[in-house]
Amino acid sequence: MQKFQIRYTFNQRLNFMMSIIIVLMGIIVLRFFYLQVIQYDFYKTKSISNSLRTIPIASLRGIIYDRNKQVLAENRLIYNLEINPEDNLNLDEVKNRLAKIIHITDTDISNYKKLVKNNIYATSLPIKIDLSAEETAHFVAHQFQFPDISILQRQERFYPFGELSSHAVGYINRINSKDIQDIKNKNLESKYNGVNHIGKTGIEYFYEDIIHGRPGYQRVEVNAQNDIFRIIEEIPPINGDNISLTIDIRLQEKIVKKFENKKGAFVAIDVNNGEILSYVSQPSYDPNLFINGINFDAWDQLNNNSTKPLLNRVIAGLYPPGSTLKPFIALSGIENNLRRPPFAIEDPGFFQMPGAKKIFRDWKKGGHGHVDIIKAIAVSCDTFFYGLGLELGMTKMNRTLSQFYFGEQTGLDLAGEKKGLLATPKWKQKTYKKPWYGGETAITAIGQGFTQVTPIQLAYATALLANPKLNKKPHLLLYSTKKELTDIDQKPPAINPASLKTIYQGMEDVTQDGGTAAFIGKKSKYKIAAKTGTAQVFGLAQGEEYDEDTLPEHLKDHALFIAYAPAEKPKVAVAVIVENGGHGSSAAGPIAKTFFDHYFEEF
Amino acid sequence: MDITNLIIKLKKIDQLLIGLLCLIIIVGLFTVASSEKLAQSIIMAQLINIFVGVSSMLLIILSDPKKIFSLAPLIYLLSLFLLVLVQFFGYEVNGSQRWLNLGLMKFQPSELLKVTLPLALAWLYHINESKISWKTHIVAILIILIPFMLILIQPDLGTALMISFIALSIIFCAGLSIKLIGWGVIILLLSSPFIWNSLESYQQSRILTMFDPFSDALGSGYQTIQSMIALGSGGLIGKGWNNAQQTFLEFLPEASTDFIFAVFSEEFGFIGVIAILSIYFLFLLRCNFMISRMQDTFSRLLSLGLIVSIFLGLIINLGMISGLLPIVGVPLPFFSYGGTSMVVSLISIGIIMNLYINKTLIAN
Repeated sequence: MQKFQIRYTFNQRLNFMMSIIIVLMGIIVLRFFYLQVIQYDFYKTKSISNSLRTIPIASLRGIIYDRNKQVLAENRLIYNLEINPEDNLNLDEVKNRLAKIIHITDTDISNYKKLVKNNIYATSLPIKIDLSAEETAHFVAHQFQFPDISILQRQERFYPFGELSSHAVGYINRINSKDIQDIKNKNLESKYNGVNHIGKTGIEYFYEDIIHGRPGYQRVEVNAQNDIFRIIEEIPPINGDNISLTIDIRLQEKIVKKFENKKGAFVAIDVNNGEILSYVSQPSYDPNLFINGINFDAWDQLNNNSTKPLLNRVIAGLYPPGSTLKPFIALSGIENNLRRPPFAIEDPGFFQMPGAKKIFRDWKKGGHGHVDIIKAIAVSCDTFFYGLGLELGMTKMNRTLSQFYFGEQTGLDLAGEKKGLLATPKWKQKTYKKPWYGGETAITAIGQGFTQVTPIQLAYATALLANPKLNKKPHLLLYSTKKELTDIDQKPPAINPASLKTIYQGMEDVTQDGGTAAFIGKKSKYKIAAKTGTAQVFGLAQGEEYDEDTLPEHLKDHALFIAYAPAEKPKVAVAVIVENGGHGSSAAGPIAKTFFDHYFEEF
Repeated sequence: MDITNLIIKLKKIDQLLIGLLCLIIIVGLFTVASSEKLAQSIIMAQLINIFVGVSSMLLIILSDPKKIFSLAPLIYLLSLFLLVLVQFFGYEVNGSQRWLNLGLMKFQPSELLKVTLPLALAWLYHINESKISWKTHIVAILIILIPFMLILIQPDLGTALMISFIALSIIFCAGLSIKLIGWGVIILLLSSPFIWNSLESYQQSRILTMFDPFSDALGSGYQTIQSMIALGSGGLIGKGWNNAQQTFLEFLPEASTDFIFAVFSEEFGFIGVIAILSIYFLFLLRCNFMISRMQDTFSRLLSLGLIVSIFLGLIINLGMISGLLPIVGVPLPFFSYGGTSMVVSLISIGIIMNLYINKTLIAN
């Protein structure tokens, strides 16, 4: 016992205890020094980010008008019920609660789930979009029962003309993960803060940067409950530009009516400035379905429909041009000093390949008799063009055709334009590993064979033919409040005007007595220059007869028609394609005539 | 007790200690005022706490030390009784039953043990002064174990560990064999895995997040992180009084009580921290000086236990807000808002002063 006290006195033990306390206090001081002096910057940043929030303020998308100020796309005020995905609410329970006062379905819930997946940073997403006035009133009256659900006013895109405008105007949709990647690649994140929608197709996509605008934001200080404590700065949003398009939607409406239920495309271009006056692709779809993510059934119905309503036929529909190619082949002949009038042939109704047994038939049994190049266009004489084509050869034909932008993009202001195809022996060797035959040159001259064109190419080529001085690309944007139309200049074809006179004569004769579309010109107050065409969908074996009445609908020929008017002083050029429409003049011609009639009525 | 005697006694009060104490309490009061939106009401409440504390302290200073000595076992038993009462009549805060409601004020009996346990132990070693043996230590261990278990089942691990550490420091200074202490430490280390397993899961997660608070920034690491942000963003010179963003934007939890010093650190920076800790340090040195002047075992051990109690509270509190220790509800003595802590701490200082003034009385 005595031992303890002898070994260490109380005061020694006391001092030991005190030393421990002092050492621990020293450690605390070092710790404070580390946090407050050495790591000051780190914690200062933390402290600021703790309480600073940026709240985006959405910008309004620009309105899209047609050339007569008809609204094609606008913003409509709607009421949504929205919840915060971070709340992790039980969706079934939310649905059951809401179902007592409003109409809500499983589709709404599954749409919401899809949104959550695609919008990982969103703090408010709609569980029910566009409440009716009645539902809005109902919900507001019961709001107190739903503290976790808010009713919010949103601007929603609306396309008043629906199907009528969809292929030109396109639509917007919710931003998905692929869009986010695009936005990041283009370094446009700041323009899309708090923005839910983006242009997906058509004009909405192509002019996204000017229609979209720029969202503003509020920088606020919040407390730990995320309540706003004070507003530090506020940058107002810049709304998107309103734009006007070159199309006349009312006129387009009449064209669509004329199509009835047929598939096809119609394009009208002002030959003096390249403005696209009508842009029709049939069948079409309602763009309003897409705005908040289309539901699966509707998508399935559109996407797997045999009539392909989603296909933008004007720029992405590929068709054999048929006889509508003949004026251009004829032009190639004259430019190359072949078949200039008064050169003529006697047409027996068929063409025999020189040095071969192969016979190419004319569409008319017994032939057209005495045919010069003008008549060859007017009556669409195949025999004449077989010979011309063979004599010209692919190189010379293609050189002329590519001057009219066949086989190339016309460069209009829409995405997804197809190039079409001007075939060459080299191309065939590469694609099919087979040599080129002379007969293929012959049928290329009448627009069959491998050649493929889009309706916009046909219309633009016709416009260039009617006015070879046209040095603008075809385009849909008439004007925007900000953007000037700058990059629409295009090199016009280098064609001798004298050569064209012969072609004009042939095309004018098409709508005169004896021409393939004589009935179109009969009662017309103005003169129409045109060319009909019939493109085979279905290859007939040698000697087989084409019988329109017994052939199934989808194997019937495509009807084509190109035209410009008035013939003396061309104002507008058109191209019409009616899929499986049969003969060019009877199925496609009247649609062009309808357009011209209404168009010239207004002048 | 006549007036002259009373004045003589008051004159003997250690002025340096009182001065340092006043400084700490005043700075604490200002910090508490800046930690709440309704400053007026919290200042009033804290002033009442201080008033009750200072009155109790004076009462203790002026009382007869022999009475304190003779009442020690009784006081200890009374505090045990209150701990038992808590089990039946206490009410729960945050899942543990720690508080007794005495109508006008609520208090934590476990806080009382920080005074009554040293009292009991000092008394025990004093009466056995000449014949301290292993039996005395066994009794001492029993005296510790009963309240330890009662506090542990509340459950309040922090306070339980704290009072046992205070008690052990008393036993150590009473002359426990160093060899025995060595064995004790080894046994403690060996049994630590079992202790870990017996901890509640919230206690485990608190200890784990201590090592990396950012691993669970919104869960159990949240308080530590917010506190460290408050400290760190205060920097060298601080953001100024009443300008603690972490506090008025309500990111800092328990700003006026357990985390009061985080508020202070954000407002006055490292320089302010050094200033306050220097005052505490001088306070400690002064107490050390006073204890070393004491003559008898009771005074020495009791004073030592009380001062260890106060400074252990300080170390745990500052370690906790700076992310060195897990979050346990230990207030900063003299500084945090709260009645029990303030009154108990001031009573402790009152006892030390009394024993210092009367350092020759008990020995005889």
